[in-house]
Amino acid sequence: MGVAITLRGLSHTYRTAEGPLTVLGGLDLDVADGGYAAITGPSGAGKTTLLSLLGGLEQPQIGRIEIGGQDLNGLSGDDLAAYRRATVGFIFQHFGLLETLTAAQNVELAGTLNGTSPAERRARALELLHAVGLADRAKHRPSRLSGGERQRVAIARALVNEPRLLLADEPTGNLDDDASVMVIELLEKVRADHGCTLVMVTHNRELATRADQRIPLDRGERAFE
Amino acid sequence: MAATSIRRRFGRSVLTVAAVALAATLLTALVTIAGTARTKVLSELSKGGPLSGINVAAAEADPTQVDTDDPRPGPPKDLDDRVRAKITAMADVKSVLPIVAAVVNVIVPEPPANAEVLARQPPLPDTVATTTSTPQSTTNATTPRQTVAGLKTPDPFPETMVGIDLDRASLMPITILSGRLPVPKSLTEVAVTQGYLTRMGLTKKQAAAVVGTEVQLGAPRAFTDTGQPRRFRSRWVRATIVGVVAQETAPGQFIVSLEQSRAARNWTSAGSDAEGRVQIPTSPYSGLFVIANDIEKVNQVRRDITELGYSTSAPENLVASVQRYLRVVEIVLGAIGAIALVIASMGIANALLAAVRERRREIGVLKAIGARDRDVQRVFLFEAGVLGLVGGIVGTALGYATALGVSAVVNGYLAAQGLKGVRLGLPLLVLFAAVCGSTLLALGAGALPARRAARMPAREAMEAA
Repeated sequence: MGVAITLRGLSHTYRTAEGPLTVLGGLDLDVADGGYAAITGPSGAGKTTLLSLLGGLEQPQIGRIEIGGQDLNGLSGDDLAAYRRATVGFIFQHFGLLETLTAAQNVELAGTLNGTSPAERRARALELLHAVGLADRAKHRPSRLSGGERQRVAIARALVNEPRLLLADEPTGNLDDDASVMVIELLEKVRADHGCTLVMVTHNRELATRADQRIPLDRGERAFE
Repeated sequence: MAATSIRRRFGRSVLTVAAVALAATLLTALVTIAGTARTKVLSELSKGGPLSGINVAAAEADPTQVDTDDPRPGPPKDLDDRVRAKITAMADVKSVLPIVAAVVNVIVPEPPANAEVLARQPPLPDTVATTTSTPQSTTNATTPRQTVAGLKTPDPFPETMVGIDLDRASLMPITILSGRLPVPKSLTEVAVTQGYLTRMGLTKKQAAAVVGTEVQLGAPRAFTDTGQPRRFRSRWVRATIVGVVAQETAPGQFIVSLEQSRAARNWTSAGSDAEGRVQIPTSPYSGLFVIANDIEKVNQVRRDITELGYSTSAPENLVASVQRYLRVVEIVLGAIGAIALVIASMGIANALLAAVRERRREIGVLKAIGARDRDVQRVFLFEAGVLGLVGGIVGTALGYATALGVSAVVNGYLAAQGLKGVRLGLPLLVLFAAVCGSTLLALGAGALPARRAARMPAREAMEAA
């Protein structure tokens, strides 16, 4: 089961040495519960900032964010951490795997923070690695995995706490075509199987066309294709 | 995760642990050595007895000298059970040990020392002539008899035997140089002092040579019967020398049981003083050794006893001033170790700050998957704590080993000087404090980097990913 996303009048400004830099300016957006949205746009359009705000990595400055009926505006640091743990699964362009841990330990990590028992986390990690076709690589460290395999491990990790919202930041940005297709198909399968809402940032127009909803951004505002 | 990080950055971790370990080594070694030296110095000052010991003489007090460590005693004044009970009942008095001295004549039978043991000891002093032995029967009163090569057997001489409660001898200012003390209530065993060795022409190093030899002690008694010429008889006992001691309880070269010295006194007291030729003791006790509850209470107890009219002596002023100096030395040595630990903790802080910079991506990932600030903080604090704990354990063990090595060297020197060595105890409190201190200091040093890691904005950390 997924979550519906509602953004109203969302603005975000960074302070830089050269002065204030507005990256989002009064953005309105709706994504349906269980929807699949692709955010596209050139560099500096505000895609990653939008993803950060949706994922609770930052607190919104102006405007309102509602995820599955939960207003993110008033949440404290710990509340946002709890929101990220329980509701969100992140998938990064550079995979975000910890090199010191094995594939299975990377997957388990999210469960550790959630307070799941060690036996339960281990079983869950192996189940997810099996689901992404990497059961035989559970004890391998990320450095011994290919790019596509690393991203599949990252997807498995994102699913550990059964998130209702999957946020993927350029998940195929570092992969070759074959691996990209495999990862995207996996994400779509996960979304179909788990019913979660998927929001993906991508530069790839072809990938974006696979989404139910495309959200082109330009300088922090909705653009028209 | 912190453990994995330590393993991964093994070289840096080892260097950081080494810095903490070196500091803990220095701190432990210095504090242990200082503590042992303090104990040794104070033990020397108290002659092996408690620091809070007070000698009460059977003599009148001079109230003007109560603040003097070793005042001149006044005229004799009897010390009896009534006075002993009064002192025992005083506030701040822990225990009262009786001392009964008796004058005896001493005969040293041949051989005066064990020749085999003597042969294994350091050479005799040059002042003792090395001549061959001469049979006792041919000697006269003025020529020492030679029975062991290089050793003179003294002629009979008057001395004082000091009777003490041997059951509680460990509480008295007596240091065993060789052998042991007589068993409690023994009438056939005696310990001798260094004065006896000097009389024999021996030094402290040769103390073992007299252990096992015999000595005859005779308490004198004058018989003055009306119309009869005065006669003298002695009550002779043959005793085995079982040990050599350094003792400051009362003047006298023989330490015996209370029963032995009382028997000698009773024998002498039953006779007459032969017009002053025999000293008849009137005081039941020659002295009392009083132990105060605490060194701080010594002065008050001395004042209370002075009010009873008895002269006291105690090294309280000397002990107090030496303690002050030793405390300063301990503080200085401890401070040196502490400075080393602070420097080591700065090393930990530096290593962790570098780790925080290097691991921004890792921190970002942790936060993205739901780690709270305190979860991140805990990872870095755990890492700091492990480094401090391991460094503390290794350093404390090395420090104690260093102190053992130093004490071995010092003991070698003391033995060469004929002095009793120091015994390094296991200062569990110091060892425990060093390990805990290193860990706590490391945690303190890790607090800033851990806080910085925890406060890293999740978004900023994510950008690093």
